[in-house]
Amino acid sequence: MATKRRKGKSPRRILQEKLRFMIFIIILAFCGLGIRLYVITKDNQNNYQKKILSQQKYDSTTLPFKRGTITDRNGTILAVSEKVYNVILDCKVMLDDELNKEPTLKALADCFSLDYNILNQYVEEHPNSQYYVLKKKLTYEEIQPFLEREKSDNAATIANNKQEDAEKMGKVSGVWFEDEYIRRYPNNSLACDVIGFTGTDNNGTYGLEEYYNSELNGTNGREYGYLNDDATLERTTVAAVDGNSLTTTIDANIQSIVEKYILQFNQEHQNEAREGLGSNNTGCIIMNPNTGEILAMASYPTFDLNNPKDLSAYYTQEQIDQMIEDETYYDALNQLWRNFCISDTYEPGSTAKAITVATGIETGKIVGNETYECTGALEVGGHTIKCNVKTGHGVLDVSGSLEQSCNVALMKMGAAIGSSTLLEFENIFNLGLRTNIDLAGEARTASLIYTEDTMHEAEVATTSFGQGFNVTMIQMASAFSSIINGGYYYEPHVVNKITNSSGDVIKNIEPRVIKQTISNTTSEVMKSYLRAVVDEGTGAAARPAGYSMGGKTGTAEMAGRDRKNYVVSFIGYAPADDPQIVIYVVIDQPNVEDQAHAYFASGVVKNILTEVLPYLNITKTEEMTIAEQEEVDRILGTVTTPDDAESTKYTVDPETGELIDPETGEVVEQDFSIDGDVTDVSDTSDTLDTSENTDTTTQN
Amino acid sequence: MATTQKKRRIKTEGRNSFDFVLLAVVFFLIGFGLLMIYSTSSYEAAIDFNDSAYYLRKQMISTLVGILGLVVTMIIPYRYYKKVDFLAYIAAIISILLLLTPLGITRNGATRWINLGIITVQSAEIVKLGIIIFQASYITRLGKSIRTTRGLLAFFIPPTIAAGMIYLISKNLSSAIIVMGIAVCMLFVAVPDYKPFVAIAVVVMVAAAAVVIYASGNDVSGAFRLARVKAWLDPESYSTDKAFQTLQALYAIGSGGLWGKGLGQSMQKRGFLPESQNDMIFSIICEELGLFGAMVIIILFIVLIWSCMMIANSAVDQFGSMLVVGVMSHFAIQVILNIAVVTNTIPNTGITLPFISYGGSATLFLLSEIGIVLNVSRLSKV
Repeated sequence: MATKRRKGKSPRRILQEKLRFMIFIIILAFCGLGIRLYVITKDNQNNYQKKILSQQKYDSTTLPFKRGTITDRNGTILAVSEKVYNVILDCKVMLDDELNKEPTLKALADCFSLDYNILNQYVEEHPNSQYYVLKKKLTYEEIQPFLEREKSDNAATIANNKQEDAEKMGKVSGVWFEDEYIRRYPNNSLACDVIGFTGTDNNGTYGLEEYYNSELNGTNGREYGYLNDDATLERTTVAAVDGNSLTTTIDANIQSIVEKYILQFNQEHQNEAREGLGSNNTGCIIMNPNTGEILAMASYPTFDLNNPKDLSAYYTQEQIDQMIEDETYYDALNQLWRNFCISDTYEPGSTAKAITVATGIETGKIVGNETYECTGALEVGGHTIKCNVKTGHGVLDVSGSLEQSCNVALMKMGAAIGSSTLLEFENIFNLGLRTNIDLAGEARTASLIYTEDTMHEAEVATTSFGQGFNVTMIQMASAFSSIINGGYYYEPHVVNKITNSSGDVIKNIEPRVIKQTISNTTSEVMKSYLRAVVDEGTGAAARPAGYSMGGKTGTAEMAGRDRKNYVVSFIGYAPADDPQIVIYVVIDQPNVEDQAHAYFASGVVKNILTEVLPYLNITKTEEMTIAEQEEVDRILGTVTTPDDAESTKYTVDPETGELIDPETGEVVEQDFSIDGDVTDVSDTSDTLDTSENTDTTTQN
Repeated sequence: MATTQKKRRIKTEGRNSFDFVLLAVVFFLIGFGLLMIYSTSSYEAAIDFNDSAYYLRKQMISTLVGILGLVVTMIIPYRYYKKVDFLAYIAAIISILLLLTPLGITRNGATRWINLGIITVQSAEIVKLGIIIFQASYITRLGKSIRTTRGLLAFFIPPTIAAGMIYLISKNLSSAIIVMGIAVCMLFVAVPDYKPFVAIAVVVMVAAAAVVIYASGNDVSGAFRLARVKAWLDPESYSTDKAFQTLQALYAIGSGGLWGKGLGQSMQKRGFLPESQNDMIFSIICEELGLFGAMVIIILFIVLIWSCMMIANSAVDQFGSMLVVGVMSHFAIQVILNIAVVTNTIPNTGITLPFISYGGSATLFLLSEIGIVLNVSRLSKV
């Protein structure tokens, strides 16, 4: 249409016109795009802002805290949490660039000995997987090769990719390490009952781990993204607060000495009279009577804290399978895990005679110049209760009664003291009450002692020599400590210091006197009696050469009263004039033909003390004979290996109850003083029974 | 109005007229481009190269080289190009053929760069400049015969060959379209007719519509260009693969609002818009500086194109005008197509934003083209 007009136009006019038209089209296009931009912004601003925000990573990562460390009094680590790493592959991140796949998977395969093809297959099948756990609980040393490889590979890749003409290479990417802590017990089974154990859930089970669980645990940290006031994403990290550490009163050296001799005893008597361990249980407590600090607390059987569910040391695989089937598996585990020293109750037997005598002297019911005639048995409340020596001890003074552990004399003392005073002093000595030791699982014994209502004449008699009521080891050790330390009842404790993760002391646990049980004077008298028990009486087998000590043996017939099963024990202190430690060993049913001999416990005590007292730098005060010196050398020299331990195994002369050296056939000299023989209650036990556990009594 | 003013001053042909507005706009765009390249690339550069200024440093070097090119082309009298027009075309064709030799560099499956030892150059950029020079000269040679059918055919043969080779050898459809677009624009300005161009426009639109209808009705997952068309039609359905980039760009634009999140505050550049310093840089500009920033950039481009138009208007000869028209159409087409892609107005195709997007050879050739325009302006009637 317009061609005719244009023909006349100059080329410049045409150019200008066309350019104007073109710029019109261009500006039109720009306007269109401007409107499009405006529309996108106006219609979708909030919507798209939300989309963008929803794409961001808000995922919060938990930064685990480190559970506190448990050390012994010298800083030896008993339990520690160690950082370990889980290897995680984020396929999505890795596949951001397809080139990354090969170098990443190759590095993984090489450094963690994984199969490249399996990895590749997984990635092919799950390209969007963001959390593929490749390996768990690796130490830093185990992941270090990968970190180095990643660094060097990626440096090479960057150098390569910076070259314009080079074939692009992929990087190692999408692999990260998740922190975790695992609990390690460097000494394996050492002090297992005291420490308890903790799984990855940071939940302590038994012992210190359970009792101080909240103290040991810290607070998890968190790394997370959030929107600030301007609706922009910020990431922040709240650091984890590590848990507090415990410094215990335990001395790992003493503890291991104790465990060594307990194990030695149990190995010697394994499968001896019956199939099984050397005893149902063997417990030992060593404490400082002047502070209540527990220096060692052990029981047998033990278990490996790093592998607490491993029963293979005590059962065959078939037995374990059978137990799982019978659902007794966890019973067996709990039996293994529980701390015999605080959780199990038993009748203390003759060791309680020290409490009876202390009660008598403290109350003035016994003044010390009394004499008692023992004819071998005593008629009480219709029962004839026999003494440990059937022919009788003859006439004994108070000290002699303890030395010979005469039941008749003690029954007479009990009658003199009277039921209510006996009960009052049981309470004063904290029997029937918890000691509140800082360990999980302390047994309640309130229902296991007599009350005013159940304490009759016969019960008074049996109580006076330690039968008919139940105690825990820690109760006895604490009560006994107060008898020999001047009458101060210290609350027993295992932890003496709590420190935070930077090492500052949060809490010092000072020795805590709960009450005065007896007077200082009574305590002095008791010490002289108890020393006489070791020097001249039934406790002689416990005394380590070169040292003076006091103590009391115990042989308690177990409920059932079939005169077969006994709890034998020894409680003592050393040195005799200035007690530094109290030691208490209890053997529950030693695996021997004739269990009723306290020297099983006394022997263990002697072995332990022979090593522990020099370790504590306690000077020898007594002269040593050559034979004693040789014995000390033997104990200190041979006990470590089980083979050598064989040579210290004695057999019991069935006639005399004396120990016979199997090689020489001679009576072993130091074992002459046995603590009590079985005493019959010529019982009509039904009349005696007032409660289940006060069954009939016997003993020592 | 402006033209009447010009008419009065047309008599004085001077060597001193120099379009400072154009130069200022170009330098502003380049400076702004460097800023945005640093903003968009620093995150990924830090991850990939442990050097957040990696792309910035490379682009600064390219820019210096480009300014050198600008100075050189500004000095060389543009009439000289007319003598070497055929050489320019041959050079362009050779640059494409070099892609087939070991000098060709393949990245992401496409061979688009040639290695010239010290630098690598994108062949398509050489071709664009070569075509501008050659077609401008060709138009003056053809004279009035350009309006005949034979003349038209003759005019379209060289750019069609070049565009075809770019498409076939370097699989670069967008550059081929730009080359053809430049040629069409130059022809449009050179001839007084409108009808054939309306016809071309109609044919292109119908063909595009046909492709769109075909793509939407069929399973085209095998052909990636058709799949892109489909993704363009319905980006939400392809949000995880084909339309991922487009959608993320839209999110960036939309979330910026009127004033943006502030320079450097883009979230999308952190992993969601990979290599956002390239084609998608405009969306990050929208996100960080908002609609306002985007409009400022668009206005600057309009000023740039307007300045080119003025220079083309006042050039002393047709060859000068045609050179400027070619350069102007090159800028206009790339800017419009780039923004259209970013806003999902057309299907996704890789076109960079002149002076702002990252790219060494593009910067060099764009600045050289500006140098030519400035040279034309120096010799124009004011």
